[in-house]
Amino acid sequence: MLKTIITREFLNNILNLRFMIGLVLCIIVTFVCIIILAHDYQKELADYNLRVNLQDEFLRNYAYRDGLFRLIPRQKPPERFRPLIIGISGDENVESFDDNPLPILFPPFDFLFIVTIIMSLLAILFSYDAIAGERQSGTLRLVIANSISRTKILFGKFIGGAASLLIPFILSLLVGALYISVNPSIQWDGSAWAEFGLLTAASVTFITLFYLLGLMISTFSRYPATSILNCLFLWVLLILVIPNLCPHISAQLCRIPSIKETERKVKEIRSPSLEVFRELRDEAKKRLKSHYGKLWSEFESMQFGGIGDFFSKVDPKYLEAAHQRAAADPNFKAMMDAFREEVEKARKELIRIRGESDKLWYDFHAKAAFQTKLAKNLACISPLANFVYVARDLTGTGLRSLEYFEQVKDEYGNQFGLYANKKVQDAQKNDPKFTWASFLDLGDYPRLEFKEEALKDKLVEVLPYWGILVLFNVVFFVSAFAEFMRYDVR
Amino acid sequence: MLKSIIRKEILNNLLSYKFSIIIILSTILILVSIFVMYRDYWLALENYEILQMKSEGPVVVIPPTPLGIFARGLDENLCRSYGIGLSGQISVSSKQQSVNKLFKLFTAPDLLYVIKVILSLCATLFAFNIVCGEKEIGTLRQSLSCSLKRPILIIGKWIGGFSSFILPFFIAVLLGTIFVTLSPMVDMNPNNWLKLGLFLLSSMIYLAVFFSLGLLISCLTHRSSTSLVISLFVWTILVFLIPNLGNILARQFVEIPTVQQLELKLEQSWTKNRFEEHWADPSEHEKMYSRMGAENDKLTEDYRNRFNRLVKVSQNITRFSPAAAFTFLATDITGTGMAEERKLKRAVLEYLKDGDDDKGDKPVFSYRRSSIREVLGPEGLSSCLILILFNILFFVGAHVAFLRYDVR
Repeated sequence: MLKTIITREFLNNILNLRFMIGLVLCIIVTFVCIIILAHDYQKELADYNLRVNLQDEFLRNYAYRDGLFRLIPRQKPPERFRPLIIGISGDENVESFDDNPLPILFPPFDFLFIVTIIMSLLAILFSYDAIAGERQSGTLRLVIANSISRTKILFGKFIGGAASLLIPFILSLLVGALYISVNPSIQWDGSAWAEFGLLTAASVTFITLFYLLGLMISTFSRYPATSILNCLFLWVLLILVIPNLCPHISAQLCRIPSIKETERKVKEIRSPSLEVFRELRDEAKKRLKSHYGKLWSEFESMQFGGIGDFFSKVDPKYLEAAHQRAAADPNFKAMMDAFREEVEKARKELIRIRGESDKLWYDFHAKAAFQTKLAKNLACISPLANFVYVARDLTGTGLRSLEYFEQVKDEYGNQFGLYANKKVQDAQKNDPKFTWASFLDLGDYPRLEFKEEALKDKLVEVLPYWGILVLFNVVFFVSAFAEFMRYDVR
Repeated sequence: MLKSIIRKEILNNLLSYKFSIIIILSTILILVSIFVMYRDYWLALENYEILQMKSEGPVVVIPPTPLGIFARGLDENLCRSYGIGLSGQISVSSKQQSVNKLFKLFTAPDLLYVIKVILSLCATLFAFNIVCGEKEIGTLRQSLSCSLKRPILIIGKWIGGFSSFILPFFIAVLLGTIFVTLSPMVDMNPNNWLKLGLFLLSSMIYLAVFFSLGLLISCLTHRSSTSLVISLFVWTILVFLIPNLGNILARQFVEIPTVQQLELKLEQSWTKNRFEEHWADPSEHEKMYSRMGAENDKLTEDYRNRFNRLVKVSQNITRFSPAAAFTFLATDITGTGMAEERKLKRAVLEYLKDGDDDKGDKPVFSYRRSSIREVLGPEGLSSCLILILFNILFFVGAHVAFLRYDVR
């Protein structure tokens, strides 16, 4: 009997106008979206390759010591899911004088938009009259007059309705997948297809959630007209209001100090720190000079063996001379050790002062992280936010992927720094005339090879949010079930 | 007779469940939105005061506009501070909200968003069964059985339906505005009041478009459920699909490098110049600098020209949607739109390129947001005309469809 109800519900839906509209809209919109985004992806890929080549060529021809920190090649490749989902821009894209403000006025159109807006609305339109509509037309009374349990009716309606709803979605996704697989510029490996499969599963969870919401509201309503109004009311709240409000509410609840103010405070703390260091060092010099007299003048002529001078390069011959002198004369050694100790005290003071400014930044970032976390957790009340986290984090187009890239970039920056330092040291050894502007041969520099985060790690991150989506499904179904059990079918 | 129809329509709406739920929803949303955006404005004002403190170099920053509470648009972008970076290019401070990355995922829930998305849906829902709903219950047949003319009936229904929808909206906005303007933080000058009035007028025209659309669909269908499904799909296409698609579609027509490519080239040019300068004859330095400046200017000019073309194409595509036309119009009126951004960037460029501040006698950067006359220039007027055109098109369509409507 369950099969009959499922078949009936399925046929009822696919012969309806809303199914035809949904099918046509889904296929056209998904296909158009994927074609445009794939073309966009090709352009971004070409742009990325050009930037990498530009940096490569530049490093081969114009690498020099003082320009190195500006030359570290760390371009972010376009996300492999770019033909489906537009990733979030990192700060480097949005803090430029010439940035594009249009996405602020009109959020991008991609697969996420299709699922969260079009499919959720379609799901509600499929289910809002599933119970109330049948009650109004009188068929529900006839069905229940037979020996069919209400449980079976509800299950049948859910399975049949959801199946008919998912047909347009799955068909449009298959068309999209076909286009991606035949497009030579999109190279997806096994893990990308696995992520695509998981993305589809998460989308199905999200769509059925809204189908169940419609079904639940339908069991609470006597008339389809009331049911659709209540459904749209909830849809507006869950999709359009709550997720957009949460970041603003969290910004009010947890205030972050101004970036500029923090920068200013840090500068205020840091700028006198060097002065303090120099003052302490110079005082020590004066004291030691009066104590050691001639020996100190000799030490001074050796540029203090490089002790206490972190900012300019001391000739290695002076270092060598000071060490030899200390080995030969215990008095000289004692003076050198005393000076080293004084300098160490001054350096500790410098570090302490700078540590205070670091603490300011640390506090700032901790507050920012807390505010983001609070906003993220608050937004979990809305299924849209949960789905967006799951979809974006799974496909490497979300906040997590930005953080991951930052981490990879930092690691690469360290690796490049070590490589460049070695090159500088080698050049200094080989060329006595080496200056800050001498050319460095960096032809064999390590390239940044960005690899997507492992699927296992991504899954661990998204499972709680996916779990919330499943929980929403369960809650809506159980509520619909409980209400339907006592539904007055007359 | 027209008066009776209007009265009947208003009373009918006032007593309906649809009216209660839509009014509750829109009132709550409008008030919450104004309150949240008011708090945001407060934070932006605090941030402006900090940015304004002159510590080093000229401060190029403008205060947030109180009208940003109603339509924030690009105000956060506009209120960043500008300066000259290490490589001689214009640098921009980070946006305060950039520290919370979640802002990147979701849209600001300002009054513009509430009107553009939610109230347009409410307007469509108000009108979707005006004609076909009456046909279903049989009252339309009865109304037309007497000497009532169809044009009068449809006009009466439009006026009655729309006024019952728009009046509560105005009351909610009025309450929100009173709350905001009572705060000492918000300094609304007469110009701002006028702009707010224009913003509300344009909102009314925009909502009328969706009301007329609902009416048109109602006149084209014979069942409320069919009308509802079609109305919701058309609403989705006009409010979300066309504006959001237009933005990415424009990029297919205009070849433009990414901003990262531009910045990389500028950075490389500066680094290369510094390297070559060290080895070159000192007499050549000035020549080298001016050559680098000219090259960089050419690069940025080319990029900006392409970018302006991209914006133009994007605006032309998206204007096919009343939602996009309304967004452009509303943000331009409140001084938080694309036109304002272009104007500010021009002013910043002129100010920063105009000599240096070595002597410290450079005048303070001053900037005035667009006046009403500027707002109502060709761009603003074309957006306004598009909205009016949509209204006429949908209403005439509804009128024609109703004249031939089978009421049986």
